[in-house]
Amino acid sequence: MATALIRRPIDWTGIIFAIVLTLVIVLPLIVVGTWAFTNVWRFPAVIPQEFGLRFWNQTLARADVWGSITMSLTLATTVTGLSALICLPAAYAFARLDFPGRDILFFSFLAGHAFPKFGLLVAIAGIFLQLNLIGTFWGVVLIQLVGTLLFMIWIPVAAFQSVDRRMEEAARDVGAGPFRVFWSITLPQAGPTIAAAILLSFVGTFYETEGAWLIGAPQVRTLPVLMISFINNQPVIQYGAVLSVLLWVPSFIALLFARRVVNSGSFARGFGG
Amino acid sequence: MTIADAGQPVLAAPERRRPIGLLLVAVPVLLVIWLIIWPIISAIIQTLWMRLPEGGETFSLETYRFFFSDGYSLSNLSITLWTTGVCAILLLVVCLPIALYLRFSDSKVAAYVQGLAIFPMFVPSIILSFAFIRVLGPNGTVDLLLNAMSLPKIRSPYLTPWGPVIGLVWDNIPLTVLILLSGLGNVSNQAIEAARDVGAGRFALLWHIILPRISNSILVAISFAVLGIFSAFTLPYVLGPAAPEMMGPFMQRTFRELYEPRTAITQAVITFGFCIVFGLFYVRSVAKNRTP
Repeated sequence: MATALIRRPIDWTGIIFAIVLTLVIVLPLIVVGTWAFTNVWRFPAVIPQEFGLRFWNQTLARADVWGSITMSLTLATTVTGLSALICLPAAYAFARLDFPGRDILFFSFLAGHAFPKFGLLVAIAGIFLQLNLIGTFWGVVLIQLVGTLLFMIWIPVAAFQSVDRRMEEAARDVGAGPFRVFWSITLPQAGPTIAAAILLSFVGTFYETEGAWLIGAPQVRTLPVLMISFINNQPVIQYGAVLSVLLWVPSFIALLFARRVVNSGSFARGFGG
Repeated sequence: MTIADAGQPVLAAPERRRPIGLLLVAVPVLLVIWLIIWPIISAIIQTLWMRLPEGGETFSLETYRFFFSDGYSLSNLSITLWTTGVCAILLLVVCLPIALYLRFSDSKVAAYVQGLAIFPMFVPSIILSFAFIRVLGPNGTVDLLLNAMSLPKIRSPYLTPWGPVIGLVWDNIPLTVLILLSGLGNVSNQAIEAARDVGAGRFALLWHIILPRISNSILVAISFAVLGIFSAFTLPYVLGPAAPEMMGPFMQRTFRELYEPRTAITQAVITFGFCIVFGLFYVRSVAKNRTP
């Protein structure tokens, strides 16, 4: 761009946006982070009276915290595993094979997105009530699995489609079999995007609160569900703060790996942008 | 790359119209039918047909009549409509300038701003709720700072209808910005430069060149936000007032605490009704962008 060569004036608009967004988006999180490492912080001190890790020990000594961490990890792993198992072959089929009803089936995954989510969850809960799935682990697995389908099919389909077909053809021309082509050409190219989809679906499931609360509570208590009860009933602020920091870890990992995908145009287009 | 026939148009692989594809997609498709399409149909049937005490079933609008004559249900519905409307307007007011700035700037600051605008996507709403209470709640950070400057405390938005509004806007900034930004990608630099050459000012540029080209993206962003906000649960449940409550917490309470699944499902069908236009528009736009 020619404009890039001209020396620009200071980007005041950008600086104002940066300051405002820092205050609104980063500051609240810093406050939570500070609370997590605070032993004593009484009103009206602006800076905590005493920093320390006392509440980490206390929080991590709680059985309900460990129970919900285990529950959340088990749930997210089960849901993501099942989702990958059923969605990735389907994604490959949608991307590469032609079969009757392909288009309408492909778009059928959008059905859930035409309705407000919690309303849909209540409708599903109505079905689960008849099947005695309310308050069970597998009830929560099913409801969270449905939530991952669109992501886990549409993103990998795009990944398979963006693989350079000419390279596959070329490999086939020199005698590679279909599995060899898939393993050596298709997968390495589609792999990173698929990995991002799996990661996003794991993280999304880990933080899924509404289905877990509506279907699972009180028997199935995930970390976000425990966090809700800490916010509502726990007078010791640091417990919630420590739990928030713990809770943020998967998101942080996702942030490190998935930013490239999120910033790419195809991600926003996936949401209709 | 060493592709021999790179110069030639690539011929599509011979059409493989084999039912094996159907087999591969069967499980997820059946899940969608069982856990999305069937519950919706079942919800409508269940709420419209009443079981008679002497056996048999009859068509009845009784549960809907109850909802629309019950003062509490109606005030919950109206607080939901209010919250959704206010959030949609605020989101546009906040996100459109950010997206415009990001589209037309390539400075280093822009990368930072984009990073920040997308960041809330990586903050689960439950952590956001907690942070909100610590910052804007009673004796929160804002109160601390005001107190340090000897100013009076704020009237905290926590547990008022503004609580969920602030939380939901915060939560929806990333996708709104991304959708608008993606729409702004369709505005070509040539169109902008051509308009500038004939002397169009900033406002004229925005009004005549940019907005008409991104109107669809704006509608998509609003539809997506409306669908998410109308039946939001976590943020209104944690940050909002106990009464009136938004439809999400209302449905949850009716279902799990009052044990009235039929009433809760009626409420769900009513939220479907209010969102159906946005839902269909949203789905149509997503589908249009995507050729299978």
